[in-house]
Amino acid sequence: MNLYHRPGAQWLAYLVFYVVLAAVPFVVSDNFLLNQLSTYGVFAMLALSISLCWGFGGILNLGQGIPFGLGAYGMAMTMQMQSQDASNPMPPFMLNNSLDRLPLFWVPFWNTGVGITLALVVPTLFCAIFGWLMFRARVSGPFFAIMTLAMLSAWGTLILDIQPYTNGVNGITPPAPLKLGEIVVDPYSPAAYWTVLALLVLATVVAKLMTLSRFGLVVQSVRNDAERVRFLGYNVAGYETAIYTISGFFAAVAGCCWVMLTQYVSPAQFDTTFSLSMVIWAGIGGRMSLMGAILGAFLIQGAQSYLGDAFLNTWLLILGGFFILVVRFLPKGLIGLVESALGRLSSSTGGKTDGNGVSSIRSRLLQQPGE
Amino acid sequence: MAVGSFFTSFDLSAFINALILGISIASIWLIAALGLTIIYGAAGVINMAHGEFIMLGAYSSYMLQSFLGFPFVLCVPASFLIVALVGLVLERGLIRYLYKRPLDTLLATFGVSLVLMQGVRLIFGSDPKYLAVPPIFSSNIQFSFVNISVFRVVVLLVTLGIVTGLWALFYRTRFGVQVRAVMQDKEMAASFGVNADRVYMLTFALGAGLAGVAGSLFGVLNIVLPTMGASYVVQAFLVVVVGGGTLAGSVAAGGATGELQSIFAYFTNDTFARFLLFVLIVVFLRIRPQGLFAPSAKRR
Repeated sequence: MNLYHRPGAQWLAYLVFYVVLAAVPFVVSDNFLLNQLSTYGVFAMLALSISLCWGFGGILNLGQGIPFGLGAYGMAMTMQMQSQDASNPMPPFMLNNSLDRLPLFWVPFWNTGVGITLALVVPTLFCAIFGWLMFRARVSGPFFAIMTLAMLSAWGTLILDIQPYTNGVNGITPPAPLKLGEIVVDPYSPAAYWTVLALLVLATVVAKLMTLSRFGLVVQSVRNDAERVRFLGYNVAGYETAIYTISGFFAAVAGCCWVMLTQYVSPAQFDTTFSLSMVIWAGIGGRMSLMGAILGAFLIQGAQSYLGDAFLNTWLLILGGFFILVVRFLPKGLIGLVESALGRLSSSTGGKTDGNGVSSIRSRLLQQPGE
Repeated sequence: MAVGSFFTSFDLSAFINALILGISIASIWLIAALGLTIIYGAAGVINMAHGEFIMLGAYSSYMLQSFLGFPFVLCVPASFLIVALVGLVLERGLIRYLYKRPLDTLLATFGVSLVLMQGVRLIFGSDPKYLAVPPIFSSNIQFSFVNISVFRVVVLLVTLGIVTGLWALFYRTRFGVQVRAVMQDKEMAASFGVNADRVYMLTFALGAGLAGVAGSLFGVLNIVLPTMGASYVVQAFLVVVVGGGTLAGSVAAGGATGELQSIFAYFTNDTFARFLLFVLIVVFLRIRPQGLFAPSAKRR
């Protein structure tokens, strides 16, 4: 059996990967670099959520910026309100836009706990409602992708438009880092890095367990043949909505972390390019693999930060070209190379080979293994 | 009281102007969506690079005009040919390998759109370019209280002309019969001797060319920028989705969405109208997921 498909080996790979990541702050003393690496962790969480939804659920989601952005705005509003007090209840930009009192939907964000809860619940709820509407109507495949894109652009324009409440294109810039009770989360500290990493590990474990569970199996069979699963008596729309909503929740968590790290949010988080780049991370790394998607995010964002300066003008050209090549020749992403390399290794060391080609193709189609 | 103040603030002539503007918006969205409709309808490919094809159309008109001194009227058909050629090359080089993976065509064409956008930015820079038109196009028509720019009428007429031409092409020519046969059932059409590969290739080129025409018109309505495609492409997609991927569907959907956008914008503002329209489309798809006029027969 291919080592790549063995759950034990997969868990070991995750363990090694995350132990290495956890050790980074002991080596890296540059706080800005650490902050940058933490944001990569956030992007990795986004790639993970895309991999869940697209790789496992077969739902191409071009609007992952919606839950991410809504979560980020919720967190930014919470952090902004932490800097306000009873004598000065309104953020400065509202005064500049001549509002005379705090808008009603800002009021719950006085309380940090309520604020963060809202930042997670609202995007999740949105995904549940939108997903349910679409999947119940059996909108799927490219049409669903387009609708997510349209919703993304609708949210972006809306937030841009209600400038007095969201500060429009300038976005919200909370003046102080996040305070949780007495603890101040310094975005440049190793603590912030470890917080993000811990959430990423948690998300990975939950996602991995989910894909191995019965629920995950049904979701994957919906991807392979929704009609057949429907005939077997499963509620396909329910499973699709569930995986879409869970992936949206992960994106909302990522949004919260992102604002915690950068102390900034703007309608740029609703740009189509940003949402599509999440798909690119997962696509290049390997959408069928959680690990592949996570590595893809680190790889592409890292390359963008370090090669992006050298190839300032041609970076998008290179990225686009590379993405085309991956889609054309490596539908499983770069991790697919690892898979076939390990597969060759195990078959050359006496692994059982399929007798005839047809059954081999059949078993590959049927397995479509998660990792 | 509230109703009364609503009616006093309701200005009939302004509302009629908004309705006329709606027709113009509809024609703009429709012409942006026509190429997309054809490519999606015939080959089932979601072409994310469509916005960049529009942008290429605008830039090829700009190039022909400022370097070769073409009059604007000639630039429009010329950019049809140029962008159709680009589409042809893309189809032969990339898309034809992906017909069996519709979601991957979406992704691959997104990669293409990145490459095209950045490529054009490298060649022409990020500063806006302008297309010059004959002075008669840049004037306004004033008819009692109705006021509309001549060029918007030109866009409307070109759109009508193209829709008629496409209808004739699909329903009155041999090629049209072949395209519709391939749309309904590729294998069956192939077994009757239709070269499906060639049909896909030509429809893709045709769709790309139409984006080129749209682009050279939009270049006059707006400024020419490497990123200009992105602002049209979402609306164009929505027209295709609401219409169901057929020509008649796109015409109806373009008309309805454009008009609704203009009416909503009259009562609120442009951005909020857009939000309202998108939400309405989601609700609409809940009721009619196949779109207004979906092809009834089996697809591939």
